[in-house]
Amino acid sequence: MYNYTKFDKDFVATRALQFRDQVQRRIDGSLTEDEFKPLRLMNGLYLLLHAYMLRVAIPYGTLSSQQMEALADIADRWDKGYAHFSTRQNIQYHWPKLQDVPDILEALAAVDMHAIQTSGACIRSVTSDHFAGAAADELADPRPTAELVRQWSTDHPEFAFLPRKFKVAVTGSLNDRAVTKFHDIGLRLVQNANGARGYEVSVGGGLGRTPMIGKVLRDFLHQADLLPYLEAVLQVYNQIGRRDNKYKARIKITVHEHGLEDIRQWVEENFALQRPRFGGADQEVLARIEADFKPPAFKNAPIGQFEARRAQDPFFKAFTKTNLHPHKNPDYAIVTVSLKAHGATPGDVSSAQMRALADIAKRWSHNELRVSHEQNIILPHVHKGDLPEVYNALRLAGLATANIGLISDLIACPGMDYCDLATARSTNVAQGIALRFDALKQEHNIGLLKLKISGCINACGHHHVGHIGILGLEKGGVESYQVTLGGDGTQNAAIGQPAGKGFSADEIVPAIERLIMAYLSLRHDAKEAFLETFRRLGPAPFKAALYPKKDT
Amino acid sequence: MSFENPNLSLSAHVASLNARFENTDTVEMLREIILDPSFGELALVSSFGADSVVLLDMVAKINRALPVIFMDTEMLFHQTLTYQRKLAKDLGLEDVRRIQPSREAVLERDFDNLMHRYDTNACCALRKTEPLKRALAGFGGWISGRKRYQGGARTSMDLFELDAEQRIKINPLAHWSRDDLADYIATHKLPRHPLAAKGFKSIGCAPCTTPVGTVEDERAGRWRGQGKTECGIHFGEVARTVIVTDDGFANDDWVDDFHTFDALPTVETGTLAVDLKGDFPAKNLLQWIDKIDMIRVDFPVFSDGRGFSLACQLRLLGYVGRLRAKGHIVADQYAMARRSGFDEVEIDQALARRQPEPFWQARAKWQANDYQNHLRKAPSQAERPF
Repeated sequence: MYNYTKFDKDFVATRALQFRDQVQRRIDGSLTEDEFKPLRLMNGLYLLLHAYMLRVAIPYGTLSSQQMEALADIADRWDKGYAHFSTRQNIQYHWPKLQDVPDILEALAAVDMHAIQTSGACIRSVTSDHFAGAAADELADPRPTAELVRQWSTDHPEFAFLPRKFKVAVTGSLNDRAVTKFHDIGLRLVQNANGARGYEVSVGGGLGRTPMIGKVLRDFLHQADLLPYLEAVLQVYNQIGRRDNKYKARIKITVHEHGLEDIRQWVEENFALQRPRFGGADQEVLARIEADFKPPAFKNAPIGQFEARRAQDPFFKAFTKTNLHPHKNPDYAIVTVSLKAHGATPGDVSSAQMRALADIAKRWSHNELRVSHEQNIILPHVHKGDLPEVYNALRLAGLATANIGLISDLIACPGMDYCDLATARSTNVAQGIALRFDALKQEHNIGLLKLKISGCINACGHHHVGHIGILGLEKGGVESYQVTLGGDGTQNAAIGQPAGKGFSADEIVPAIERLIMAYLSLRHDAKEAFLETFRRLGPAPFKAALYPKKDT
Repeated sequence: MSFENPNLSLSAHVASLNARFENTDTVEMLREIILDPSFGELALVSSFGADSVVLLDMVAKINRALPVIFMDTEMLFHQTLTYQRKLAKDLGLEDVRRIQPSREAVLERDFDNLMHRYDTNACCALRKTEPLKRALAGFGGWISGRKRYQGGARTSMDLFELDAEQRIKINPLAHWSRDDLADYIATHKLPRHPLAAKGFKSIGCAPCTTPVGTVEDERAGRWRGQGKTECGIHFGEVARTVIVTDDGFANDDWVDDFHTFDALPTVETGTLAVDLKGDFPAKNLLQWIDKIDMIRVDFPVFSDGRGFSLACQLRLLGYVGRLRAKGHIVADQYAMARRSGFDEVEIDQALARRQPEPFWQARAKWQANDYQNHLRKAPSQAERPF
């Protein structure tokens, strides 16, 4: 894991002090609310429907046990004893008081954490593959690049007041778990024909009200050119991105309006200017970061307990079927801990559960945890021989739900219960679907299915990339839920297509049930996932299930 | 000699007027200005307040028909209205224009006339600044009765200034003392404002004016306890902006004109300064880059960060002259401005009052904690931050 240098520590400590001063100046009136707003947003502080919300950065989703414990302490001391893991690999506290926030930032700084750039029209906290450094299918660990980008983008003097927010994601695997094609900039670690390390750079992807798939701006960028190239892209965007309409201000619209070719030419011109500014220290820093991310000392031990427990405990077996992912060390597994117990609010976790996770990671996962954009917690390095004990500990903490990748492992934004942008509730739909399919005892039979729910057109629940997406709108004062089909956030990126008119809050769960039942009858066999069946047959049979003809 | 010298820029013109009248008697200066047609039409803006009678008397003796603009905010003391009618009659003023705020705007923004209780700045804008701006449209210049001894931003004002609309503003009494005024009023046996005897030394709107003690500043009774010292009609003068550098606040030492890029002079002049908008393509300035002495980049609103990238690009293209960020920049952005390549920041008085020097000084050590700088160094020179 990355170890903060003295430079990093000084930075976050100074930043917390500055925010203390800014809060004071807001309270005494020398900063107007308009002027305070971007300052608090750059420190992760939102004003929501009921209260302030503090969004703490978990860069590229990596946490140590000590950091998880500190997050639990903050939840107890300054919030209501729980927190919410978001779809951006962040953690959110929904009830802090403004005057307490400087203390919270200091508590974060003490464990090398911060809330910097988790909000506001700046380069946001960089995200990555939640299996990074552990997955068997990985070409290279994306986290050193992500950390380098974090350092470069932190407090960048040019890019704190962009036309709109700007999100960067990095993946090191062909199986894109970081949704890079739907980011403002997506970086994919690649090698060229000569074996040189570099990046494929995509630009202009995004969800929200105008979903777009990122376009390749450079198919190969040398590793050492990354920062000056990013700087060039951001400079072009900063100067020509639209500022007259916030719904047209993201770089996806800039690329769409000017065309990829023009953007590429301007970026290359700027890149030529920027390149000489970088003297090479960045690569030295990168090398040091890479050393920090070297794999932990994996143990050599028997895995017999794992197989034995699987043979005798069907619950454990179900858990290992859904919640494990292949590790690059065959004796190890990546364990995904579901924060989607049936009927619970996706992503919510109590301080006691956070401490339990910290303790489990300390004992059995080399002190490491990950947060996924799918709102789950990952134990990246668990020796298979330890899995029975890990499972027991998770069960004790109420964290052993065996539903990863299944329909109840869904993403939902906080919706109208918390968010002042939302036009419909989303957690009630999420709970309704999870409970219904749990009652039907069908979800293991249904298999891999990404269901995602957004409570408004801003798409925080990523419904566009759900195999099944649900978008909650408001029509004539009533909640109306629109279904989209066929979205995919991986390397085979696709935007879900609307199936037809919306459903009321009472109709939406039965409609999803009809849709799933249709899939079960249409699929070749149990190996063909929903998305594959959809791609094979097209939308027609699914629309027919959603909107059955009434008997006359 | 005519005042109209096409070879002189406006600010140079103002500077030459200041030099010319530096030692001229006030009445003589007023006579020359009022009778010189090259100024265009002039107006006297008067509050009919505590000392207004001095300037009104001088002007009336030169030209009774000179337009006198009287700002009736509809919040004035009734004594002021009575006094205004009496003075107009006694001095024989022929063209007093009583200017009131727009009906629609008052109905829309201050229907209960209570705005002064919760937002004095917005109230002054509605009732004074905006109506005056309309009333002055078409005038070539205006005369104001401000005095340097009144303190605050007035301490350093000149006889001639440019206002925000690039109009000449004349302060004939700038150098007058309180005693000078009292002497003039006594010598000419002029009537005083009825409230002057009750301890009011500066008189504005009734809700926001209180009497002052004998040792207080004359204007201490205006917006008492609010940290506000001007209504707004005297803001925006070119000479009144504040320049922020690492050393703190300073007056602007740049006296020459700024040109827009499209109007850059084609012949070589002494110094060359240009105003740029944030979306200006830096490369278009390439052929000028070593000829320009000063570039000023506009920040219309602090959340518009285009200017930071423009500054960076100008530096990368080789510009080494002065680089200034102008407009709505908040103290918390000072380090960003410096790191992007700016030398200094230009802000107006209102912002400087709300965000005083210590706020900016708190960010003066802009080199500290700079991630980008430590990533850009050469490996051999890189200080080891770890």
